[in-house]
Amino acid sequence: MARREPQFNQQVLVDTTPMPADIPSVQEIGATSAPLTSAAYFIGDRCKAFNDDFMKCKSESNGKGEIDCLKEGRKVTRCAASVIKDINTHCLKQFTAHWECLENNNHRLWECRKPEMDLNKCVFDKLGLKKTIPGAPENQTPVHLRPTQIYASFPGPQY
Amino acid sequence: MGVPFEALIPYGIIITMFGVTGAGLTAVKYWSNDWKKPRWNRDLWDRVMMERDMRITGTPRGQSSNAEAPKGFEVSNPWKLEKRIF
Repeated sequence: MARREPQFNQQVLVDTTPMPADIPSVQEIGATSAPLTSAAYFIGDRCKAFNDDFMKCKSESNGKGEIDCLKEGRKVTRCAASVIKDINTHCLKQFTAHWECLENNNHRLWECRKPEMDLNKCVFDKLGLKKTIPGAPENQTPVHLRPTQIYASFPGPQY
Repeated sequence: MGVPFEALIPYGIIITMFGVTGAGLTAVKYWSNDWKKPRWNRDLWDRVMMERDMRITGTPRGQSSNAEAPKGFEVSNPWKLEKRIF
């Protein structure tokens, strides 16, 4: 049956039964929304192959992807966790500055270009991961490299 | 012809009381957002992610950059229940 979002739900059920022992377990990612948003492009850079593999598996498994693609899913989780761990080890100060800025600005990336530049530089120097926006036009400056952001609450150059 | 000062007392009371209300509501809003600026214009993704933040840190605005989730996080995912229509 197709998945349908529940409408007007009044209560939730928390099922604390763990996964059966015959399914290999993976440690879930403990980063919350703002650090994940901040690290998203680096996760995408390092884990592109795993992510594409997982999405291909899901689109080819006729709606049973949740069960058939557990192996690929574990790889995705482990890869993302490795990126978060590496950023925490090498660029903790810039990373914290960026996600705290995001958390204070409604997770709007264009309000926080200055901490983002510092983070991008540190991550590229230490880890070799580069932020690229997929599908951006090639003959223009990508939006995250422009000093002035048209929607930002501060209208001038941010760095 | 000067205005007697008694005529301005009600205006003083009005301004003070509106100020108390506004400052109080602002304080409550910041307090309930862990002293951060409130989130606004949240879509379904943001609401789901804030619910996930709550399961990791205990507050909807709490943030953590740990690579590994706390113990018990993997079984705390809630299923939304709805009443059967038929």
